[in-house]
Amino acid sequence: MMTGSTFHPDFALLFLNPREAATIDAIVGHIIPSEEGSPGAREAGVTEYIDRALSGFMRDLQPVYREGLAEFEAFAVETAGAPYLDLDGEQQLAVIAELDELSGARPDAFLGQFYRIVREHTVQGFFGDPAYGGNRDVVGWKLVGFPGAQWGYSPEQMRPGVDSSSIPILTVKDLYARIGSM
Amino acid sequence: MRAEYDAIIVGMGSAGGIIAEQLTKAGAHVLALEKGPDYTQEDFMVKQDELRYYQRGAIVAGVNVDPVTWRPNESSTARVLPWSAGALGTDEPLYGLPSIGTGGGTLHWGCAAYRFREADFRMRSAIAERFGEAALPEGSSLADWPISYADLEPYYERVEQEQGLSGRAGNVGGVLQEGGNPFDPPRERDYPMPPVAQGPGDVPWVAATERLGLHPFRQPLAINSEEYRGRPACVNCGFCHGFPCHVKAKSTTQVTSVPAAKATGNLELRARSRVLRINRSPDGREVRGVTYVDALGETHDVFSNTVVLTAYALENVRLMLISGINANGQVGQHFMTHNFGWFTSVLPEVTNPFMGTFNASSAIDDYTSELVPDNDLGVLWGSPIISVTGDLQPIEAYHNMNPGVAKFGLEFKHWMRDKYRHMHRMYSQTTNFPYARHYADLDPVVKDRWGQPALRITHDWEDHDANSVTLMGRYKERIAKEMGATEYWMDSPRPPYHLSTHDVGVHRMGLDPATSVTNVHGEVHECRGLFAVGGGQFVSYGGYNPNQTVQALAYLSAEGLLASNGLRLASSTSMVA
Repeated sequence: MMTGSTFHPDFALLFLNPREAATIDAIVGHIIPSEEGSPGAREAGVTEYIDRALSGFMRDLQPVYREGLAEFEAFAVETAGAPYLDLDGEQQLAVIAELDELSGARPDAFLGQFYRIVREHTVQGFFGDPAYGGNRDVVGWKLVGFPGAQWGYSPEQMRPGVDSSSIPILTVKDLYARIGSM
Repeated sequence: MRAEYDAIIVGMGSAGGIIAEQLTKAGAHVLALEKGPDYTQEDFMVKQDELRYYQRGAIVAGVNVDPVTWRPNESSTARVLPWSAGALGTDEPLYGLPSIGTGGGTLHWGCAAYRFREADFRMRSAIAERFGEAALPEGSSLADWPISYADLEPYYERVEQEQGLSGRAGNVGGVLQEGGNPFDPPRERDYPMPPVAQGPGDVPWVAATERLGLHPFRQPLAINSEEYRGRPACVNCGFCHGFPCHVKAKSTTQVTSVPAAKATGNLELRARSRVLRINRSPDGREVRGVTYVDALGETHDVFSNTVVLTAYALENVRLMLISGINANGQVGQHFMTHNFGWFTSVLPEVTNPFMGTFNASSAIDDYTSELVPDNDLGVLWGSPIISVTGDLQPIEAYHNMNPGVAKFGLEFKHWMRDKYRHMHRMYSQTTNFPYARHYADLDPVVKDRWGQPALRITHDWEDHDANSVTLMGRYKERIAKEMGATEYWMDSPRPPYHLSTHDVGVHRMGLDPATSVTNVHGEVHECRGLFAVGGGQFVSYGGYNPNQTVQALAYLSAEGLLASNGLRLASSTSMVA
């Protein structure tokens, strides 16, 4: 019981309330799951990314998130018999799968739109620069072998067959530090 | 500050920057009004940020500021097209208007720099000769251009030398060049620079197309492959299409023509200045200046007998329509835009698709324009097939991923983990014919924040568009199989976008004032001294990227302006404090 409600954010919430944040954290954790030795959206801080973005750049989406989370809760109760955070991991995943199917079958339905928005923001928070509050320890970039904010690549690095995980990953912050030392 | 200028240029982008340089160097006093910022290199020192530029569209105007509405036909209600990451944050930012600010669309572009082919300028005649008059698409207003390739060739040449292009010519003075495109039209000189570094994913594509007997060539790009005119070579950062350049290797008028115009001392550039309307003489036959609003919301009238609109095809049209300039009903007609036909493969090899520029790759012209093979789909005019090997960050890769793979859970995560570094893309912009039912006018309901009507696009993909995507898709599929692709997929032949930064044709050039908007120098037939320059002048639209032709037309217009009957110098040259 209460598997998802153990969420204790290590950052200040700027828009979501704690229960909303816990629900988002559970959802994003099923979109990009965590595995042994391979972090997912939760370890990447995707919930912090979304909360921070909603208090700033994406503030126009605040009502969409409020309404979407309310409808999502109702959907969980309707399809799985309990509020989302009271479901176990398998049941939570089943709700996401059902929502994914609904989103494909009825693309204009609001709940499906909301799901696609959360999914988009999950990807943004997982693969965006860490400066935005997600992709902590560049776990998203490590997963796929993306070297991040490189100043450039040498002709040697551009040769076929180069293993990009051998290139040290850089962030926007690293590049600003580099400019500062120029 | 002057009371009256020799010329006012609206928009300091791809064409406007070039015209500003040419006029100021000849001694004309020019006022440039740019609705975006006057960027400096300081703005772009660290731009390696996919969220900021690609997903959030930091240098494009955005739907809140520059709404454009779209409807498929006259019986439906137009809605605001989402862009700049979209109304709900889930759309591609570049299916909208180009970037704004000094440099305009050349700030964000992928820098593919193609000359149109000789036959592209006489598309209507060439189709009629090969397939018969009856084969011409029903209801199409397709026409030949009033100029030929040979007329434009010297101006293409100027773009290549002055703006700085890299590549390898295929045909210099009628002699085929080793390693170049054997289907190239003849040209006077090779590009001033060799091609940029090749992306790793292009190597298997070139090998596969060669095995199939096709003729791959390195794409001509407006990117420095070596130091050129004081600007350095590309460093292959892989944040290019949709991004500004941090080292000035990309050819944008922000680093080429605008600084040159400023250096003359004859350019007064007012940034964050949005033109609201064009002002004319009481009888409407001559231009007198424009009214613009500044960043603080104050409006100003400025005066000149020469006004040049270089604010992008669609904004040129909006300004003319808002100002009541459309006596023959041609302004906004003949709307054409590209359908890209994206085709993505997963290759056995590592492609490292994030390295180097979008177009650090090759293309084939074996099926382009008049070279299109006879086919069962009724495709009359072909397109290049372009290999795209760089500039693919992870979020964009997610947008491009195999539609057959789940976008949640371990299946999704593992696909990104295992396939991202093996992705390869192809596209071919398909020929888009003009039709009376495809046009731009003013939206009767939607207005921008200054109370000006939004532009409304009425457009839908026609059978020829969809069939072109399908036909080129077959050729791409052969190449993908030859590369040994383990999976591949392609876009819908009728994609959801109807704007792409490749929108053209809406203020057509022509010799007959009854059926066109401008003459070959861009002067608007019905209003002396008013010029509308750029892709809006295109008469037909094949499969090549538009910008080199936009810039060639800018050089041509500048020459016309500087000829004795073009630029009408200000009557008062006295300086006003």
